[in-house]
Amino acid sequence: MFDFSIVTQAIHTALLSIMPEGLAIFLECVVVGVCLLLMYTVIAIVMIFMERKVCAAFQCRLGPVRVGPWGTLQVICDVFKMLTKEIITIRHADRFLYNLAPYIVILASVLAFSCLPINRGMEVLDFNVGVFFTMAASSIGVVGILLAGWSSNNKYSLIGAMRSGAQMISYELSIGLSILTIVVLTDTMQLSEIVERQADGWFIFKGHIPAIIAFIIYLIAGNAEVNRGPFDLPEAESELTAGYHTEYSGMHFGLFYVAEFVNLFIIAGLAATIFLGGWMPLHIPGLDAFNTVMDYIPGFVWFFAKAFFVVWLLMWIKWTFPRLRVDQILTLEWKYLVPIGLANLLLMVIVVVFKLHF
Amino acid sequence: MWKRNTSYNMTIREKITAWEPAAEWSAEGDGMLTVPVETFHDLAVRLKREGFDFLRSLTGMDWGEGRFGAVYHIESTATGENIVLRVFTPAPDKCGLPSVGDVWKGALLNEREAYDYFGIQFLNHPDMRRLYLRDDWVGHPLRKDYDPALNPLRMNNEVSQDSTPHFELMPDGSLIRKREVIFDEGEYVINVGPQHPATHGVLRFRVSLEGEIIRKLDVHCGYIHRGIEKMCESLTYPQTLALTDRLDYLGASQNRHALCMCIEKGLGLEVSRRVQYIRTIMDELQRIDSHLLFFSCLCMDMGALTAFFYGFRDREKVLDILEQTTGGRLIQNYNVIGGVQADIHPDFVRRVKEFIAYMRPTLREYHEIFTGNVIARQRLVGTGVLTREDAISFGATGGTGRASGWACDVRKRHPYAMYGEVDFDEVLFTEGDCYARYMVRMREIEQSLRIIEQLIDNIPEGEYRTKTKPVIRIPEGTYYSAVEGSRGEFGVFIESRGDKSPYRMKFRSTGLPLVSCLETIARGAKIADLIAIGGTLDYVVPDIDR
Amino acid sequence: MTNNSYIKGFLHGVGSLLTGLKVTGREFFTPKVTEQYPENRATLKMFDRYRGELTMPHDADGNNRCIACGLCQTACPNGTIRITVETVTDPETGKPKRRLARYEYDLGSCMFCQLCVNACPHDAIRFSTNFEHAVYTRSKLVKTLNKI
Repeated sequence: MFDFSIVTQAIHTALLSIMPEGLAIFLECVVVGVCLLLMYTVIAIVMIFMERKVCAAFQCRLGPVRVGPWGTLQVICDVFKMLTKEIITIRHADRFLYNLAPYIVILASVLAFSCLPINRGMEVLDFNVGVFFTMAASSIGVVGILLAGWSSNNKYSLIGAMRSGAQMISYELSIGLSILTIVVLTDTMQLSEIVERQADGWFIFKGHIPAIIAFIIYLIAGNAEVNRGPFDLPEAESELTAGYHTEYSGMHFGLFYVAEFVNLFIIAGLAATIFLGGWMPLHIPGLDAFNTVMDYIPGFVWFFAKAFFVVWLLMWIKWTFPRLRVDQILTLEWKYLVPIGLANLLLMVIVVVFKLHF
Repeated sequence: MWKRNTSYNMTIREKITAWEPAAEWSAEGDGMLTVPVETFHDLAVRLKREGFDFLRSLTGMDWGEGRFGAVYHIESTATGENIVLRVFTPAPDKCGLPSVGDVWKGALLNEREAYDYFGIQFLNHPDMRRLYLRDDWVGHPLRKDYDPALNPLRMNNEVSQDSTPHFELMPDGSLIRKREVIFDEGEYVINVGPQHPATHGVLRFRVSLEGEIIRKLDVHCGYIHRGIEKMCESLTYPQTLALTDRLDYLGASQNRHALCMCIEKGLGLEVSRRVQYIRTIMDELQRIDSHLLFFSCLCMDMGALTAFFYGFRDREKVLDILEQTTGGRLIQNYNVIGGVQADIHPDFVRRVKEFIAYMRPTLREYHEIFTGNVIARQRLVGTGVLTREDAISFGATGGTGRASGWACDVRKRHPYAMYGEVDFDEVLFTEGDCYARYMVRMREIEQSLRIIEQLIDNIPEGEYRTKTKPVIRIPEGTYYSAVEGSRGEFGVFIESRGDKSPYRMKFRSTGLPLVSCLETIARGAKIADLIAIGGTLDYVVPDIDR
Repeated sequence: MTNNSYIKGFLHGVGSLLTGLKVTGREFFTPKVTEQYPENRATLKMFDRYRGELTMPHDADGNNRCIACGLCQTACPNGTIRITVETVTDPETGKPKRRLARYEYDLGSCMFCQLCVNACPHDAIRFSTNFEHAVYTRSKLVKTLNKI
């Protein structure tokens, strides 16, 4: 398996030979930041394209086909369109907060994004409480959404923001519980370490029943966390027109839009990392030839394949179910997911204590 | 059967004449009873007590020479007996009629419409605003002496009033005008529509919220008001036909069927059995089309966009069949006076059979993806309950009424075309909630398929169009015909003075009663329920606004 | 009892969700129904009863069957049709004769009710199935149907 840290080490030593260490690290940070933002944008574009194609396929349509081969350039054109649109300022809005909100949302999203271990040696932020950090960073987004709803001076936005607040704060709990289940299994919170421990089998197989339950809870709660159907109440286009981002136009709206899609990717990526072995290839014990072939596939391909598979699952869910009502969303969380999550955590503890896992 | 009193065998006309010796019967056309205005409200209360609980239609009228009034079509849901009453305003210069909104709730919006059109003030009506036109409109357009020059196109916005006028009669006979508050200063009022994804057109509500809970709801109609009834007064009878397709665009075939039936009734024209068969099949295809759209739009409103596409995919097949024979998809122009525009297409029978074979398994798919879905059930079951009494009182016919347990199907109550001879069930539910309203429509698709199946193979030979005179004049009198439209009773009321155009033509909107009962249903529900309620009531706005 | 219904309801709910997923999952792999409109122009054929726009068929010599009686103009509810009549002397008999000078049809106000076609005693006008009506100015929607 290729270790990306060889490349980063080589660059680091090369830079050290021509400049002082402080400058070298600063330069590296800038380069990493730029690369990260670039990847963020690319993933956003890919995700939006995927969403449009996948949703079309579920709906017996073709999706975009006109711009570029199979419509591949459609989203890029949309980005340019979005960039050229006027950012309309709303009268009686709280100007400062109104303009700040989309940046908070995007900041939270980028922070969480940078935690994802894409390949061995290719993690940007990786430390011993990585799981906590990711969750904390991604929860900043709700502040941005609340601010957006509040500062727009629009009643629809306000209702959307309030719904969003109630929903996201509740579902944090389930996400936490399901991740905690895996943390119990691995006894580490460092994301790269979690992946390394899955070299001999992904956690969804190693942890069997409790891990599968945790995975399902994670998918449901994660879907709710990124405000996607059937939990898209904060935007609920048939009720609140567009919810918290009703009053945003141009690239400000674009930031919300991009953040929504990348958040979906982050949720999927985290699921891939924690449950599906991250960049670890699929190994079937006993089939050595098969395993060697799998090892030749680079780690980041594995990671993206798994992440996009989870994204596809979430899209399948989104494009099948009707939307829940606000009280039902809370009922689902507090009456079903949290008790099941707690029981599941207990089950995992039993499994770990009695060494019932593989 | 045990009879409560001796007057049981009397017809309602005889009874009213006994109560009100001043009542006069005029026999032209369908015939109607003119009753004095002074005791009209008491008579209405008495009629309601006698079982006449369904106000089918309320039509404001200008009979010329300053004589205004209204025509009431009333039916007893228990016996199916009908009576038409006519009331004149007290004096040419005084425009006051007692409101019967407290007897039949459905009268409330209809009285507002009559006020809007004719300036008839209804006493003790709680909300005497205009219904369709702007509040700053000058004059009343359906009055015969109305001058259109009074109302140039206005470029300023209309401000929504938070209060409403209300007229009361003083003991000395004078009218006083009061104002009633609709929304207080401190209420959190949000505006839903006219541009809103879930209002299915340009309907507008103002909703007072407490958190997510609806406290009050105020309906604003008229954003697509085209004055079709006024236009009809200057068109010849064949020309008026072109406008009915544009009322309820999902019931184009049925609307036009009703108007053709009404005109044919006036002319005493019998259409051939072939035409009856074709019209029945077309009406049912149209109903399937409408119900598929209902399913799709409800799913979309509930956030299940994929089911929306499935519904539209299948609706396309109905539209193709309709288009092949009629030449139109929404605006079909198929029924004409005395028959249909063209004979059915040679492929018609084959395609309809193919469609029936296709539709049954597809319906199962719908039930799998939406009906059975736990989220959909949670959102539909038990929300937005309309009781049977309210449904009748508001005149909420169609699927809405049947979901509340009211057997209101015109096809059963007053069979027309082939409906008396085919075998089909009237789908009835008793819950009156959104789920019942949804299921009624889904079951009605099956019933429609069943009706078509019975007819499609034995369409008799015959002419598809009876020749009519080049200029059609209906004998003097009033006529009312109703059909079961896609979403309720669609009625046509014509008052003819023997000219080639109608003196007054009124369409009983299927959507207006549905909108009028919305406030009752939605009060106390959540804002998300409003969307489900609106979706299951299945109103079509051009039909409300006319 | 309530515990039982809680679990039963939960399992039933999950089952119904999976049924829904099955339907959409099947649809994901079935061929799509989208018609690619401008590309399929060659094969796209409207039903022959489709009312696209009013036309006046001309024979090979450029003659139409209109006798300028004006019945279509009277029948139209919208005033969509305007007929201009000229009087010419018949070269054979020498008598003055009414003849159609201009048959103007405003597509923009036509509501396709077919009353004009029904009214025509000589079958001189009919609806074509052309449906591509987009033009840049409103005046282009006013068409002269007869060949002058």
